Amino acid sequence: MQAILVDVTRCTGCERCVEACIEANGTDPVLAQRDRARTRDGLSENRLLSVPEVDGDRFVRTSCMHCLEPSCVAACLVGGLTKTPDGPVLYDPEKCIGCRYCMLACPFSIPRYEWVETTPFVRKCTMCADRLEEGQLPACVEACPHEVLLSGEREVLLREAHRRLTSGEADYLPRIWGEHEYGGTCVLYLSDVDLDALGWPERGAESIPSLTEPLISKTPFIGLGVMGSLLGVNWIIRRRMELQGSGSTSVDGVNADTGPVGADDAAGSVPPGDDETQGRVEA
Amino acid sequence: MIRRTRGLKDLLWIFALAGLVAGGFRLWFGLGATTNLTDAVPWGLWKILNMVAGVAISTSGFTIGFLVYVLKLERFRPLVKPAILVAFLGYGCSCVALLFDIGLPFRFWHPFFMWNEHSFLFEVFWCVILYFTVTTIELGPTVFEKLRLEKVSKFLHRIAFGVVVTGISLSSLHHSSLGSLFLVSPGRLHDIWYSQYLPLFFILSAMGAGMMFIVLAKILYARLYDRESVFGPRHDPSIVILSVPGAPAGNGARPQAGRDMPMLISLARIAASILAVFGVLQLIDLLVSGSWRAIAAGTWESWLWGLEFMLLVGLPNLLVWNPRNRRSPTAIGFAAFSATIGLFLHRLDVGLFGYLRSAQEAYFPSAAEWALSIGVVAAAGLAFLFFVENFPIFDEEWRTRRESLGIFQAKFDSLSRVWNTALSSGPERTTVIAVFVVPLTWMLLYPPFSRAGVEGIEAAAGIDVTRTVLCIDGDRAGLSTEFPHAEHQTRLGGEASCVSCHHLSVPGDETTACFHCHRDMTRPTHIFDHSAHTRAVAVSEELGGIRPANHSCEFCHYTGEGKSAESARSCLECHAEDSDWVEVPGAQSDLAHAVSYMDAMHGTCLDCHREEAEKPGQEYLAECSTCHRSLSRQPPPQVAVGTGH
Repeated sequence: MQAILVDVTRCTGCERCVEACIEANGTDPVLAQRDRARTRDGLSENRLLSVPEVDGDRFVRTSCMHCLEPSCVAACLVGGLTKTPDGPVLYDPEKCIGCRYCMLACPFSIPRYEWVETTPFVRKCTMCADRLEEGQLPACVEACPHEVLLSGEREVLLREAHRRLTSGEADYLPRIWGEHEYGGTCVLYLSDVDLDALGWPERGAESIPSLTEPLISKTPFIGLGVMGSLLGVNWIIRRRMELQGSGSTSVDGVNADTGPVGADDAAGSVPPGDDETQGRVEA
Repeated sequence: MIRRTRGLKDLLWIFALAGLVAGGFRLWFGLGATTNLTDAVPWGLWKILNMVAGVAISTSGFTIGFLVYVLKLERFRPLVKPAILVAFLGYGCSCVALLFDIGLPFRFWHPFFMWNEHSFLFEVFWCVILYFTVTTIELGPTVFEKLRLEKVSKFLHRIAFGVVVTGISLSSLHHSSLGSLFLVSPGRLHDIWYSQYLPLFFILSAMGAGMMFIVLAKILYARLYDRESVFGPRHDPSIVILSVPGAPAGNGARPQAGRDMPMLISLARIAASILAVFGVLQLIDLLVSGSWRAIAAGTWESWLWGLEFMLLVGLPNLLVWNPRNRRSPTAIGFAAFSATIGLFLHRLDVGLFGYLRSAQEAYFPSAAEWALSIGVVAAAGLAFLFFVENFPIFDEEWRTRRESLGIFQAKFDSLSRVWNTALSSGPERTTVIAVFVVPLTWMLLYPPFSRAGVEGIEAAAGIDVTRTVLCIDGDRAGLSTEFPHAEHQTRLGGEASCVSCHHLSVPGDETTACFHCHRDMTRPTHIFDHSAHTRAVAVSEELGGIRPANHSCEFCHYTGEGKSAESARSCLECHAEDSDWVEVPGAQSDLAHAVSYMDAMHGTCLDCHREEAEKPGQEYLAECSTCHRSLSRQPPPQVAVGTGH
């Protein structure tokens, strides 16, 4: 799986990578330059890569992190975002309906929207998937003059990152951002300052799909369960009505004045859930 | 009666038409131009208010169905039809608003065929669509009876129970899933509102507030059309009007309450209990997860949460359980209203306000967002009134009463009469005109506001009036760059060269950014791409040979002179016409010589730095790492900037 290693201590913020990104993605350089000053972290639909400043004198290459378990991929209702086995998380403009849930779901707030267009699409870094396929480096990695960026297999880069951490080449904080956070990302960071300001969570935060997947995989069973318990409760109540011989047996009986179950209950003591109701009826 | 509803209807028409206009704007100008949404706040009023909250308030369809069909609490049967109508309209509203909200409305059908079963939004979409179909089927019998299609109506009656059970299951799924939508934001949603139990909180609060909303609808209906049923016999209307929440009630002089009041009270109490359960669970969750600290922090979010909790849980419970309010429709109505507002606030908090802190951006909906949001609801209100007046929704004896009370006699029996009425009587004339004029005026006055407009670089406050040097703070970060304006002006050709940077260079731009000329970061010049020129010249001159580019040198570099930028042909000789730059005789401007961005920026510091570095003990001032601290391993020496001045 392809990944990018960013060594924050080496970056001078020259933004060569941004220039290369703009060229590779064919966005408008004039608008991109304008957006640098207009947006919080410099990212916009014209600047899919940015180098915001952290702590005054550190520059952090910021773009899509290409998570191993991407929140956006799980969130998109039409499956317009996919995690390729090669590493990049890719967006399919043919499927997108513009609900912008990916933008809400991304923990790093990375996807950008072409707000000014009348038929807008989402834009984000592709890790230059087309270049990777041809065996080339991502444009930003190729352009970097200071060897801040490294591209390659994720395992290899992680090994290199650990080597740098132990070698003490710089005052690295003892952490590789992206190794475990949100289930791991394909963009890894070594830094001597904290990167919390860019949306990084606690070390080792679990991936977002792991929060939602257990719940959503049970959805059909929950639905069937609710339906089953409704029928069960209804059957018990009808049975009791028949036994007491006073209720109307027809389901649709109009204005059966006071149901024998409901009428004598103190109003408001009816609990909301099915199970409690069942318990009350049987009690 | 007609008079009573006319003002309301006129108001609703104004809002609905304004909403229509706003919808038109949105389709014509696009999302960015009509809304205040940004990349940091991608979901705004339309999603949160109209979809997340609008669907939640329409739960009555399934809760009343549950009470009546499953638990067989027959006393709530009169509320079944209104509840279904509210659900139908509420879901319809959400779908319409959503159509305008999604970026590519013409692709609304994609989720039918393109599935991602891992997405909660996908589940919500399907459940909402299916449940909307269910409410349509449930509403069917009422409509078909009126249309005298007894067979269809009977068939629908027969399958009613199955439909209701399906509807309840779908509802319980998507109302919780609407909460699950926000489970994806553990880092972005504020701690007060983020909880792994959001799905549970969402369905509980929706059930409670949905029941409260149907109570409110019934009371408002009674207020407009059928006073006795709720407010009691007519003979002493002053009691009704004067009954305020908390006022002593039932002190002998008071006549009995309306016949539907016991039902409403008991429903309101069920709803309040559910809301209380919601409140208690939420408090427990806050205590256990430790998020109560975020509330104790006293930020604006804490106060918002307090308000929301008070409106959604506190106030309704206080009002509903107070025995003195047993006969006061106003108090119960107020409780229901409070719960409704509370629910809306809760959904806005979770979906919108809770995100603002991490987004570091403020969001206030634009006029078009407000107009469409309210307009869709107003249209649903009109549809509600239409159904209520023309179909037996709230009671079965509507046919007889409609004639005897003369409620629904406003018939458009002839065009001329409507016209005459509209133009002859004073108040009607104003309202009718207002209904059409207000939205129309807005449409004509609407500025096609677009955030795409380029903000020019403004001179910061405190510049010298002669404009010899401008201080430019491009990113508003509080750090300014000195721009030697007068120097640029002289060098580029005096007064006549203004247009080189101002007004004309970039469409929509008033000033040209520095990088437009100083494009390259590190190369000596930026504007001139030497290799591109050798290639271009070779191609256009059709030079032969293996490396034709090598033969194109002479095109610019005159033979016999050293090949340098200074001695080469001036750019303007070829580019005079296709450039925005003016040719000023005698000006020293040459496009090729705009220094690199790095040199330009360095130029403002380096001259002085190098001068200072000559002094003993200050050598470090000339080193790169003095300013670019990231280039240095060592911490920089403590520099008092400006020593020696």
